Amino acid sequence: MDLEGFEAATVPHMNALYDAALRLAGDQATAQDLTQETYLRALRSFGTFTPGTNSRAWLLRIQYNLFCTQYRRGRRMPLVWLDEGEADPALDLPSAEPGPEEETVRELDREAVRRAIARLPEDFRTAVTLVDIHGLSCAEAATVLSVPRGTILSRLHRARRRLEAMLLPELGRVQADDL
Amino acid sequence: MTCEDFQLRLTAFSLGELEQGEVSDARDHVATCDDCASRLLLDRQLTALLRASAVPAPQETVTAVLATVRAEAEAGAGRLAPSPRQPARRRHWLALAAAMLAAAAVLAVALLLVPAPDPGSPLSAAWSSYHSRGEDGLGTPTQAQAERLFAVLGPDSRTPDLAAFGLTKDGWEARDLAGHLAAVAEYRDPDGGRVTLMRWRGDLPQVAKGTEGGQLAAYTWGRHTSYWWEADGLVWCLVGTIDQDRLYGIAEHLGGESSPAPAG
Repeated sequence: MDLEGFEAATVPHMNALYDAALRLAGDQATAQDLTQETYLRALRSFGTFTPGTNSRAWLLRIQYNLFCTQYRRGRRMPLVWLDEGEADPALDLPSAEPGPEEETVRELDREAVRRAIARLPEDFRTAVTLVDIHGLSCAEAATVLSVPRGTILSRLHRARRRLEAMLLPELGRVQADDL
Repeated sequence: MTCEDFQLRLTAFSLGELEQGEVSDARDHVATCDDCASRLLLDRQLTALLRASAVPAPQETVTAVLATVRAEAEAGAGRLAPSPRQPARRRHWLALAAAMLAAAAVLAVALLLVPAPDPGSPLSAAWSSYHSRGEDGLGTPTQAQAERLFAVLGPDSRTPDLAAFGLTKDGWEARDLAGHLAAVAEYRDPDGGRVTLMRWRGDLPQVAKGTEGGQLAAYTWGRHTSYWWEADGLVWCLVGTIDQDRLYGIAEHLGGESSPAPAG
């Protein structure tokens, strides 16, 4: 077994796999299990991987199939929902040289964005995760999710409009300040 | 292209997924329409925020996944294949325990239960240190680092000579292993095999607890076995890619040399 080749092709993508697993599963323990099981399955089927193709997309497809067949069945998605009365933390855009206070704000930003993504329906959230966050093309995401490319574009478009609506006050303020 | 046309294509344009024939129309429209230019800016700001929200894998996860993959590769795909109903993390430690049992039986070293390592422990840090080394070998510490190592570790900070085992020194350096200053030495054999020796002042990691003076603890690291022992307040860890019986001989040799002389 070519363990070195396997690790070279897959380990650089572990952050993406874990992040995608976390957004699918909703909790860290399940995300770790899902990531681990994905790597085991990938190892066993590494012979079917075509060198030169996108190994991140290959791993994400294995992970998504695994989630659908073994993790999602019979279990309610443990999503983090915002209370209706709860306001999102202040949102600001990154500057070139952040100080400690800005770093704190950025972490709040990231958390606010994560929660906004978590509020999306699963189909939308998965498309955003694959394309917007982890850089797959729409065609690659379509292969991962076994849907047409146009469906991915449609989901992304609608998901982004919802995200804008959730994050618009801060985005609009920053935009107005910048222009 | 109208504003409505553009906004319907905004996501595809922003992602670079718009059909080639429509790209120049979209660009022309944005160049002359402030509203759509603002929408495009907003969309790109949103993309930046989404990308920045990615959560990296915790070190504990990286360590667990790599250990599981290596144990699986070592065992042979399928032979230790876990039942799909068992939690993956539990399977991982079962696989490690099985590999360790085999090593202990062959090498007759101390047999220990294998708990999950604390991600912030010297065990995890030593494992990461072992795997983070590049192919160019280690360098040489600065004079100040060497003096500090000697002050903390004493004479055992020096790199032992393992020429009798066919190994040549391939550099050494000072590293921080979970808050412990460690002397890390690398060796090579003529066949390209690699051996790493780490020493720091502190307690044996939990995995090696239970050994007595002069005993070695074996702990499987993926395809390799690492050997651990404590002597005179120092933790020693030896791991490498060479033949494991040979590595055990080196551990026995170093362990014998480093063990404190009997009192009296």
